[in-house]
Amino acid sequence: MAEHRTILHADLDAFYAAVEQRDDPRLRGRPVVVGGMGRRGVVSTASYEARRFGVRSAMPGSEARRRCPDAVFVSPRMEVYLREAQVVREVFESLTPLVEPLSLDEAFLDVTGSAALFGDGPAIAARLRAEVLERTGLTVSVGVAANKFVAKVASDLRKPDALVVVPAGTEAAFLAPLGVERLWGAGPVTVDRLRALGLATVGELADFPAQLLAARIGERAARHLQCLARGEDDRPVVPDREAKSISRETTFERDLRDDEACHRVLLELAESVGRRLRRAGKRSASVRLKVRFPPFRTVTRQAAVDPPTDDDLQIAALARRLLGQVRSSRQPVRLLGVGAAELIDGDVPRQGSLFGEDAPAVDPRRARLTQAVDDLRERFGDGVIRRGG
Amino acid sequence: MKILCDRQNLQDAFSVVGGIPPQKTPKPIVQNVLLRAADDRIVFFATDFELSARVTLDSVKVLRPGEVLLPAKETSALLRELSEPTLALESEEHRCKIESGSGSFVLVGDDPNEFPAEPTFDGTRTFKVPSAVFLEMVRRTSFAAAREETRYAINGLLLDYDAGNLRLVGTDGRRLALTSAEIEGGDEPARAVVPIRTLHSLLKAVGDDGDQDLEITLGNSQIAFSLGDVEMISQLLENRFPAYEQVIPKVADSTIEVDRSLLEKNLRRVAVLSSGDVRMVRFEFKSSSLELSAESSGVGRADLSMDASVDGNGGKISFNPDYLLDALKVSDLETIRIDMTDDATPARFSLGENYTYVLMPISGS
Repeated sequence: MAEHRTILHADLDAFYAAVEQRDDPRLRGRPVVVGGMGRRGVVSTASYEARRFGVRSAMPGSEARRRCPDAVFVSPRMEVYLREAQVVREVFESLTPLVEPLSLDEAFLDVTGSAALFGDGPAIAARLRAEVLERTGLTVSVGVAANKFVAKVASDLRKPDALVVVPAGTEAAFLAPLGVERLWGAGPVTVDRLRALGLATVGELADFPAQLLAARIGERAARHLQCLARGEDDRPVVPDREAKSISRETTFERDLRDDEACHRVLLELAESVGRRLRRAGKRSASVRLKVRFPPFRTVTRQAAVDPPTDDDLQIAALARRLLGQVRSSRQPVRLLGVGAAELIDGDVPRQGSLFGEDAPAVDPRRARLTQAVDDLRERFGDGVIRRGG
Repeated sequence: MKILCDRQNLQDAFSVVGGIPPQKTPKPIVQNVLLRAADDRIVFFATDFELSARVTLDSVKVLRPGEVLLPAKETSALLRELSEPTLALESEEHRCKIESGSGSFVLVGDDPNEFPAEPTFDGTRTFKVPSAVFLEMVRRTSFAAAREETRYAINGLLLDYDAGNLRLVGTDGRRLALTSAEIEGGDEPARAVVPIRTLHSLLKAVGDDGDQDLEITLGNSQIAFSLGDVEMISQLLENRFPAYEQVIPKVADSTIEVDRSLLEKNLRRVAVLSSGDVRMVRFEFKSSSLELSAESSGVGRADLSMDASVDGNGGKISFNPDYLLDALKVSDLETIRIDMTDDATPARFSLGENYTYVLMPISGS
């Protein structure tokens, strides 16, 4: 067993736009915007040339046109991107079985065990970049580090077409000059609070007294951020196809009593679980609920789902029903978790339904909507869109 | 209370109500059965608040009238084990002593005054149907009703009455069973969704003996079944049954006739190798044959051919074999008819006189 892990974060550079530039020589060297057509379209990817004008993903097309009038707007060709992503995935999986895709164009690889075959982290990263370029003509930026968080920061640092290696033991020094907004879990509100404390860089945050920080942003958040700031992150790389179950849970800083709030949390957890199911191409035949009542009584319940589902609302509805079975109204809870087990491949044959309303997941409009929301979240993060009401 | 009675009669009567007390309940008192003795007859009454049943047993010698609560589970088990022809039951406080001759058993019940009262029933609309006919209708449809709680809306059978014709419909959203019979019941239409549990309890309670008329009375939120000494009252489910008539195919590209018992047998054989994430058997209708096949990766594969008379182009369609076997089992026809169009359209099976089964295929195979 190695002393430390070797984790790669690989991220294709301006993926969709790069594919368009590859396939149409006239687009090369020019600002290209994929998406953002139509009256209400938003940009899905901008080429680096367009980014120089301030065009960003998720930006309304009209705004992108204003910032970069010379940009060429093209419609997304999802089937082409999917095909390329598959090739890239094959390259990843030829280097290690431990591949955790984050989206079409991004993945973590744990290559600790591949050293004897392919060399050390930097060597494997170089090989990965060369093979992706050779097979697809696309460039991929890679970060190499001893954990996921640092690898991700590294891959992002000198994009595009970059390889950044952070040797084990130098994580804190590597992170120190970077802005606190780089920290995973530091949203705008937290960043504002950190700035108010005079903490602009990761290094300043790492050195700040833990108790003072906890008093300002809460104990859990403080501990979490300072761990990251020191470059500590022990989350494993979880390959999708090994997943036996997918679950998400959240612990509340203050016990939650409100029924509506509990349901809201269950919906958010169900959305996260549903998204990971869909990403893995799985459906679940068993939905699980985990509840912790203060101080430490933890209860789990599960319900069968037939036919198996990957639908957020159906998972949320079941989780809600299970919660109703173990919790009385306004009873405080400390933790809620939603899980999906008994996973089956999503593309296996499916039992059809006689009545449309009986099978919400099969409703093509809802499935399309869910897919669209997934795409947005993959690209711009969970906060980009929420269910109304 | 003190009575003398025939053991077999007592056991039969008790079994009518013995299945109703719930295994788990916030009110443990309803895990008992109430026994009331007076005028040389005894009445058993049990309830779980949604479904209640009472049965009257004559030909009993009541030596001292009174009431007692018997724990349902233990009493059922005990009556099954006893073999002496005559039993003596005597209550004292909230206990009941059962003497069989070879032994004496004391069952601890609860205070009969605390037991829920028999429900008041508001129904007036009455239908009459020979009990054997109705029970067969329940058997033909109940297996198709939803089991999971998530589909609570169709966790019961629809009773749909119109102009002398009673239909029973069960569906879980993937299959639908429909059967009908001519019965007495007046001109006005009526609809009600009866919990599947109620109908299963009815099947158990009345058995298949004879041509006695079952009396069904409908109220606003309740339904009552009455047959001889047995009376059951149940809450109805919300009347939210799906528009079932729309999903019964009216036309089809192909009409096929096959031998029912042979299909059942062959389907069982092929289904052995259909285990996987989804239970599935492929049907391919050729000009004069039906090819059945199933495959289970890493386990094996089955192929089987049988005679079929096919009118139309035939084609391929896949079903969950269990769903079809459920229906073939209760069909009494020698030759059944299948109307199918393609692998995305429900197929219609004609399985008996006034007996239709609609099954949604498995797609993407």
